[in-house]
This record gives sequence, C-alpha cells and structure tokens, in this order.
Amino acid sequence: MKLLLTGVSHKTAPVEVRELLAFREESLRRALGALKACEGVSEAVILSTCNRVEIVLTTEDNVDPQAIVDGFLAEQKAVSAQTIEPHIYRRQGRDAIHHLFRVAASLDSMVVGEPQILGQLKTAYNAAKSSGALCGWLDGLYTRAFSVAKRVRSETGIGQMAVSVSYAAVELARKIFGSLENRTIMLVGAGKMSELAARHLRRSGASHVFVTNRTPERAAEMAALFQGTPVDYTRFLAMLPEVDIVVASSGAPHYILRKDDMQRVIAARRNRPMFLIDIAVPRNIEPSVNEIDNIFLYDIDDLEQVVNANLRERMKEAERAEALVVEEVDRTMARLKVAEVTPTIVGLQEQLEQIRASELDKVRRRYGPFSPQQEEALEALTRGIINKIAHGPITALRAHSAAPDGAHVVAAIRKAFHLQD
Amino acid sequence: MADMSVIWLRVAAALYSLGLLHAILTLVRRRENLFRVALGAFWLGAVFHFVSIVEEGLSIHHCPITNFYETLSMCAFLVVVLYLFIFWRYRLESFSVFIFPLVFVMALVATMGNPVNSWTSPVVRDAWLTVHIVLVLLGFAALLFTAVASVLYLFQERELKSKKPRKLHWLPPLGTLDDLIWKSMALGFVLMTLAVIVASTWAFIEHKEAWIRQPAIAISFFTWGTYLALVFLRVTAGWRGRKAAIMTVTVLGFSALTWAAHAHLGGMLKP
Repeated sequence: MKLLLTGVSHKTAPVEVRELLAFREESLRRALGALKACEGVSEAVILSTCNRVEIVLTTEDNVDPQAIVDGFLAEQKAVSAQTIEPHIYRRQGRDAIHHLFRVAASLDSMVVGEPQILGQLKTAYNAAKSSGALCGWLDGLYTRAFSVAKRVRSETGIGQMAVSVSYAAVELARKIFGSLENRTIMLVGAGKMSELAARHLRRSGASHVFVTNRTPERAAEMAALFQGTPVDYTRFLAMLPEVDIVVASSGAPHYILRKDDMQRVIAARRNRPMFLIDIAVPRNIEPSVNEIDNIFLYDIDDLEQVVNANLRERMKEAERAEALVVEEVDRTMARLKVAEVTPTIVGLQEQLEQIRASELDKVRRRYGPFSPQQEEALEALTRGIINKIAHGPITALRAHSAAPDGAHVVAAIRKAFHLQD
Repeated sequence: MADMSVIWLRVAAALYSLGLLHAILTLVRRRENLFRVALGAFWLGAVFHFVSIVEEGLSIHHCPITNFYETLSMCAFLVVVLYLFIFWRYRLESFSVFIFPLVFVMALVATMGNPVNSWTSPVVRDAWLTVHIVLVLLGFAALLFTAVASVLYLFQERELKSKKPRKLHWLPPLGTLDDLIWKSMALGFVLMTLAVIVASTWAFIEHKEAWIRQPAIAISFFTWGTYLALVFLRVTAGWRGRKAAIMTVTVLGFSALTWAAHAHLGGMLKP
C-alpha cells in the first residue's frame, strides 16, 4: 500500500493558483468518484478550502500514485502541470501522515490554532465516506488525525487565547464579569468594528444592546440587527448607569466621555464594575477614566497589545503541539508496521499447522487407531513442537517491524518458510 | 434598673429584632421587602423604649443615665429618634441596614443589667456555650473566605487595570470573586450576629451584671461593629476592590484579636 498527499496551501501558492485547483462542494462527489475509479486507487479524500486544496490517496503497491494524481488533475482542472508545479507539495508515507496531523491540529493554518480547519477536514472526510471513497485504512488514519487534533487542543493552550481584537474584548469582558448573562451593552457610534464586537458579546450571553449615534436612523438600523434599543444621542449619558459594557466607535473629534462624567456614572451604579472599549480613532473616552475604581478602559492599542501577547503565547504552545504531533506520528507508524507483519505471522502459523495436520494423518494411517490418551499425547507433542519453532521467527518479526531493516527481515522469513506472496 | 422598665425594654428589643431580620434578608437576597414591617416595628419599639426610660426615671427620681445600662438604653433611644427623624425628612431606607441591627444589639445589651437566676443545669450552660463557639468558628471561616476572595479580587483588578492580563491568568473573573465575597460576607455576618446574641446572654447569666465590664466582651462588640460597618458600606456604597479588601482584612484582624481575647473560653466548658 502506498500513501500520497498532494496539494497547495496558502504557504506555497497564491490565491490565483489555489482557486484554479479548488473543488466546489457540488462537484466534489463526482471528483471523488473519478479518482476512486482510477486504476490501483484504494481510497481517496479531497480537502478543498479557501486556504488549501489537498488530495490524499492510498494505492496498490504496483502503481505510481503521483502519476495518478497528475493525470486526475489534468483531467479535472484545465491547468498545465508547469503552472502548478512550483506551488505543489507531495508527501509520502510518514511525511504524509505528519502533514495530515499538523493540518488537523491547526498547526499549518494561517492563524495557528484557529479551529475551523478541523471542521473543514471533517466535512471532507464525510464527503469521501458517503461517496464510498473511504472504506478502510485511510478511514482509520483520518479518525486518528481527529483525535490527535482533539488531544492537541486539550493538552496545549493553542486555541485558548483570543487572537482577534473583538474576541479579545469578549475575553476581557469575561474576566471582568464572569458570565456575560444579563449584561447590557451600549454601542456609541454604529461602525463595523463595534458591530462585530457587539455580535461576539451578544453570542457570549449579553442580554441587551443599546445603540446611540449622531444619526438616529443609523442607530435604529443597527439596533434592529441585535433586537436592541436605539437611544437618543443627547440622552445616552443618562442611560450609562444601566449599562455594563460600552463600545465606543463614534467619529467624534473629541472625547465624548470624560473622567467626571464617568465618576458620576460609577457612583450611580454603586461601584458595580464597568467595561469600556474605545475602538475609535481619535479616541472617544478620556484615558484617565481608567484611573477610576471599578472602571476598566481599553482602547484599540490596549486590545492589540492583548492580542499580540496571546499570539506569542500561541506560538509557544504551538511548539509543544508540534512535539505532540510527532509523538502521535511515531505511534501511528509503529502500529502501521505491526499491521504490515501481521499477514506474515498468520501465514507462518497456518503453514506450520498444515504440516502438523498432514504429518499426524500419516502417523494415524500407519500406526492407528489410537486410544484417546494417545491422541491427546500426540496432539500436545506436535503442537508444542510447532509453537516452539514459530516462536523465534514471530518474535523477530514483531521486534523488527518498526526498524529500518524490517522489510529485509520479513522477506528473509517469508523465504525461509516458503510463504506465498 | 427597675423591673418594669426592663420588661418594657425587652419588648422594645423584641420589636427591634425585626429590624435585624430585615437587614439580614436585605443582605442575603439583595432585596428590601421587609422594610415596611421592620419600620413599623421600629416605631412601636421606640414607644415601648420611651416608656421604659420614663419608668426608670420615675423610679430613681433622676434622669436615667446613672449607669452603663441606662446610658446605653438612652443612647439607643436617641439613635432611634434620630433615625426616625432622618427617615421622615430624607427617606433614607438604606441606613436601616446599619441602624436596625445596631439599635437591636444596644437595646439587647441594655436589658442585661439586672442579675437573673443562674443556670438551671450545667448541661444547658455548656450547650449554650458550645452553640456560641460553633457559630463563631463558622462565621470566622466565612470571613476568611471573604478576605481571601477580596485579596484575589485586588490582584485581578490590578491585572486588568494594567492592561496586560496574562501573568495571573489563573485568577477567577472579578464577577465570580465578587459573588463569592458577597455571599460569604452575608453568611459570616448572620453567623457572627447570632453568635454575639448567644454570647451576650450566656455571659450575662454566667457573670451577672458584671459581664459587660470584661475587656473581651468589649472587643467582641467592637469587632461586630466593624463587621456591621463593612456590610453597610458594601450594601449602600457598593464598596469593592482596594477599599473593601483593606476593610475586610481589618475586620479579619479584629476577629483574630477577639479570638485571642477569648482563648480561655473553651476551658470554661465543664469537662
């Protein structure tokens, strides 16, 4: 059996090349069918996302999987080999397994640790499975890849820290309030950024959104997006004591929330904590507001700083994840080798058992019939002999299966015992 | 104190106890739903209290401020009158959380000036004392949790203010800590208040009217007073963070002192 993984990714190919090779969802089934139908192909999976296109296949030993994929691509996609050749990577055997595990664990992603790729991989797996292109060993390898991804996620902190500004805001809000259930948000200014932050906060449990904007129509429009309430721009300060999280992104050229305003607000709130997010440039909230007890003010640079710190942390975790992946690849390879020698072991045992049975028959014909005790003694004697003989070669097969010279040992034993190929 | 005067004062203290209940419910449920009833009882209690003071004055033919118990009763009465005036003028409901328990404990202590019959049996005496010790220890444990959570709150707050929330990422969120602080503080206050009531009665029966002169008792009341102030500031002004943490640790310190002052107490349990 041969394993080949071929593809292009955001690291090796620009989008012009990736889009040439991409498979649309509706054409994927047909493509899988065509690939499976190629001479010598046992199993196949096609992963096609905006960042990568990868074809994985297992073939019989006597064919060249590379040639099959080249032929397949030439037939499916109108691209010349020269165009894609500089961008394409090919991995075989162990390297292919390593690559697959790294992709599943999101170590090869654009933003390391982002979990979407695992979902996309599962979709590709399901597509291959339902179209009958996945039915044996490769199926097991993918299942293994999914559990490696799970292990990496749970044993390292690779996916734990927010690496986008709006997620960082949600994470900070959680640090301040614990649960976001029943927290209210006020959006001051109705920009794209604040919409995104509000969406994340809302999804994390925040209960109500107030929107205020200089143009009341825009406020009403945005409020409708979150089933929220538009608030008159002249009145929003009076509403602040009711609000836990403020997202400021208005285009005002000066501060719209000053320290003394916020001092009054926090007193009216009886010191219940407040989280102010100022993503406007120029800033909307006077920086000294952060000096007030129980108010936490983060501007865009502060959030970026959190994101950068998280990214650095992620990189550190990614190193641990890489080691973990290598460990899993080794384990899979060892299992694979053991699986490869299993037919030889079974063949050897069958061969010896056959010899024993025919020799026993001969003895019975010549000296029999025997009493039950004699039968029992003969049975025990012959079985003992073949087990002793088989013990040496079987131990050697198991021990050498994972070693570099394993193939030679297997070949020598097969030859010595006249095992058929 | 004259016997009749003490009886009226006891009735007044019983009515004031509704005020304590109101304060505790406010603390535990964060809702003020017993206030009307407690305020009514407070009014009625004030009337009985007044009767008690007049009775005492008539019996000694003097303004009843001649000993500690009389002065305490008078002081409590003045606080009551002052609060009722302030409430009538400014409708300050939130003060009640502080005033009601304070007045109740003052009135209760003031009733304990006349010697009463001694213990009917040593079993009752010991059981009473054991209840007190258990209540105090539970209260102390709750207070310890409040203090630890307050200090963690302080760290987490500083971390968030510094805008580099990475170093101490294992700290629980502020909201969770705040919830823990609130709950353990309320529980601790309830336990400590009950312990103070149980202990005053026990000491009164044990030591007759001389009980109040013991320094350990004075420290206990002082500690309870600081706890009451902490609770009050939390409920009304929403004290959190640095101020609350310092205050909580102070209360914990006083509690430890009080404990040390009572080191002999366990030995008073009859073997």
